[in-house]
Amino acid sequence: MRYSAALLEHFLNPRNAGLMREPDGVGADEYDGCGDLARFFLRVREGRVSEVRFQTYGCGPTIAAASAASERVTGRTVASLLDLKPQEVEDAVDGLPDDRKHAADVVAGALRAAALDALRRGGQGVA
Amino acid sequence: MSRRVYLDHNASTPVHPEVLAEMLPYFAESFGNPSSVHAFGRDARAGVDLARERVARFLKVAPEEIVFTSGGTESDNFGVKGLALARGRGHLITSKIEHHAVLRTCEWLESQGFAVTYLGVDEYGMVDPDDVRRAIRPDTIGISIMHANSEVGTIQPLIAIGAAAHERGVPLHVDAVQTFGKIDIDVAAAHVDALSFSGHKIYGPKGVAGLWIRRGTKLVSVQHGGEHERRRRAGTENVPGIVGLGKAVEIRARDMAGEAQRVTALRDQLWEGVRARVPDVRLNGHPTERLPGTVSISYRGVESESVVLGLDLKGIGVSAGSACTSGSVEPSYVLRAMGLPLEWAMGAVRHSLGRSTSAEDIAYVVESVEPIVRKLRAAVPVGAA
Repeated sequence: MRYSAALLEHFLNPRNAGLMREPDGVGADEYDGCGDLARFFLRVREGRVSEVRFQTYGCGPTIAAASAASERVTGRTVASLLDLKPQEVEDAVDGLPDDRKHAADVVAGALRAAALDALRRGGQGVA
Repeated sequence: MSRRVYLDHNASTPVHPEVLAEMLPYFAESFGNPSSVHAFGRDARAGVDLARERVARFLKVAPEEIVFTSGGTESDNFGVKGLALARGRGHLITSKIEHHAVLRTCEWLESQGFAVTYLGVDEYGMVDPDDVRRAIRPDTIGISIMHANSEVGTIQPLIAIGAAAHERGVPLHVDAVQTFGKIDIDVAAAHVDALSFSGHKIYGPKGVAGLWIRRGTKLVSVQHGGEHERRRRAGTENVPGIVGLGKAVEIRARDMAGEAQRVTALRDQLWEGVRARVPDVRLNGHPTERLPGTVSISYRGVESESVVLGLDLKGIGVSAGSACTSGSVEPSYVLRAMGLPLEWAMGAVRHSLGRSTSAEDIAYVVESVEPIVRKLRAAVPVGAA
């Protein structure tokens, strides 16, 4: 099997998949030249991510990376997500094969965009 | 994971136990070089000769018209380049849904100054024989059309295509890698001049295949060296492989008709089962003029590799109709040529059944795929696919 146990587990049982009503921040990213797409919704309380939901369209690793990243960023400050690196997303699924690195890129890109959106809105709870 | 179901027979098949038994002595006992004059060589030669006769009997052709090669790709290269280079220059006709072994060969021939027409197909993946007829020019020197497509299984109207080629005296090469040993091939009725076939799609070993060349057909060699295969294909024969191919063909002659009937019924059960349980699905390829074991199903709104991965985790081996490589998604060129919209082409999964496939296997696949697709769809952004 070319994928890690952690990746397969997230693929089979994705956490936080789905829509969010009235999120504090929304961001999406699409990988260039590839149909892979991820969209993240953030709920923010006191400057920290209190809830994450995502939707993805893509291969198995993209779904797994979105799920693993959604768990990893919960509880963090929104500001800290602005420079979320694909490597950290990759680490959350115990590595990706070379031809699937884009899964981490698209997930990190969507989370950064969602964080930026939350900060720009500066709404309730977003410090 | 307990149950394992292999539904990728169009990619490769397990070697039949009778084939393996027949091959084994040719590795270390009858190991001689068939070109050697001594008894060791003669033993090996006898194995190759028997295999040639078995293939010839199956195709109802003369044994000396069979050339053994290293694989379907070499056979296709030989068939297409052999026809073209024997004539030096001119125009070739093929289809947009050929295997890459034919398409890339045609592209290379274009780079060498040949002209090539790539015919389109209809929504079922079928070539129109009238399109073949219309595409023939005074300088057309060869036509290469596959007998059936590996992805969707659509069987081409070979008799009519052959008639169109024959009317104008244009030689016809047929890539029959997916049909040889699965359905009847009548090279005489279809006016075929060269036909590619392979071993590992019919429970023979990998690394061995062949090209049948009608006697009198002008075709040059693409591999030069010794005087093997009546000087048409240089290189010491892959004796165990050829012996295995011969045995595999003999078994196919015995089992093909009964198995085709059984596998066709299972194929239809698979599609009916999936259609009854999973919304927003479509069958790709011709509803009836299709290989007995091939079912290509598109799941709208999901990406085929994720379905393949989900089924793999349930012990089921199928293949994706679209491939995501290095971040660039390549929806199948075959499905695109058939005019399938991207949202459907991206979610195509091919199941190819074979001799070991049981009704229980099909029931297991049908029951496994529904929750996989449902879960994947739950995470899909609206309008993304």
